[in-house]
Amino acid sequence: MLHILKIAWHLLILYTIFLIGNWIQQTFHLLIPGSVIGMIILFLLLVTNTVKLSCIEDGTKFMVRHLTLFFIPVTVGIMSYFDLFRGRGVLLVIIVILSTILVMISSGWISQWLIMRKEAKHD
Amino acid sequence: MIDILIAFSMVLGTILIYKLSSIIHTKFHFPFTLPIFISTLIIIILLVALDIPYETYMVGGDWISELLGPAVVALAYPLYKERQLLKKLVMPILIGTSFGAVVGITTGVILAKWAGFEHEILYTISSKSVTTPVSMAITDSLGGITPLAAVFVMIAGISGAVLSSYIFKYTKIHHYLGRGIGLGSASHAIGTATALENSEVEGSISSIAMIISAMVVSIITPWVISILL
Repeated sequence: MLHILKIAWHLLILYTIFLIGNWIQQTFHLLIPGSVIGMIILFLLLVTNTVKLSCIEDGTKFMVRHLTLFFIPVTVGIMSYFDLFRGRGVLLVIIVILSTILVMISSGWISQWLIMRKEAKHD
Repeated sequence: MIDILIAFSMVLGTILIYKLSSIIHTKFHFPFTLPIFISTLIIIILLVALDIPYETYMVGGDWISELLGPAVVALAYPLYKERQLLKKLVMPILIGTSFGAVVGITTGVILAKWAGFEHEILYTISSKSVTTPVSMAITDSLGGITPLAAVFVMIAGISGAVLSSYIFKYTKIHHYLGRGIGLGSASHAIGTATALENSEVEGSISSIAMIISAMVVSIITPWVISILL
């Protein structure tokens, strides 16, 4: 019970930081989403030791572990777009998959090449 | 009163199906048994079978979606936990993810443009490699179709997770850094979940890549688009 209350309290802190992030985004008309700004804020708070890890640890662990759950209602929204994927829309699915493969190969290959070069130098 | 009842049962149903999917995934460990994939599939089948429109489902679904924001804020935790590793690998991570971000935006937009799709679709496809809330926010600010962005993000996530083992094998990407960055850059949280299954280091690299990719993409997308269109 105490654990649940702790998670709820941490969640409230996370939600407040999210709202602050949103407020910053709207006030300064930034393109970076409020949630990402909130994430940067929390990271800075942790690094500068303004917020102790124990003050948010249980709640953040819980949210990260169940990240998938929070996506589900949005992904179910696919059902409203079935029509789009009939006919020409199938092309979009193929394009997304193709582009995804290219991103994975290019980013993975470049970073591996960089680290291998660095490791070889040290040896 | 009825609205609250509907909302409550939709929330409960979603959580139960999510739990069930997680159990299925631990028992039958295949890329296509990923909880995000089966949960979505089960819920869509149920809604279609019971003739419940998406809008009705979202009366409750919105309660869960509301937590996406704080969930993204929570990603500061793995970033903080792995900050020492991040510091050591900062250059390859930054270069690899930035390169992937540019490749993701340009190939998506150019291919869709070649195929003759309208601007609204091009705006929507541009940020498909990053995590859902970020992609939706970028799409929204560009004037794309927000729910469709979530659909593209999901296709990028699932296809990347399923294909990653084949891709890494044929392109000889064996290093945890390359694999983690590839998964996080191309397939965001779904890729990160897959990377975490391979190893903890690979998972943490993937979450870092996902986070940096989200930041880079949200900053450069409007730019790259203005150059391409």
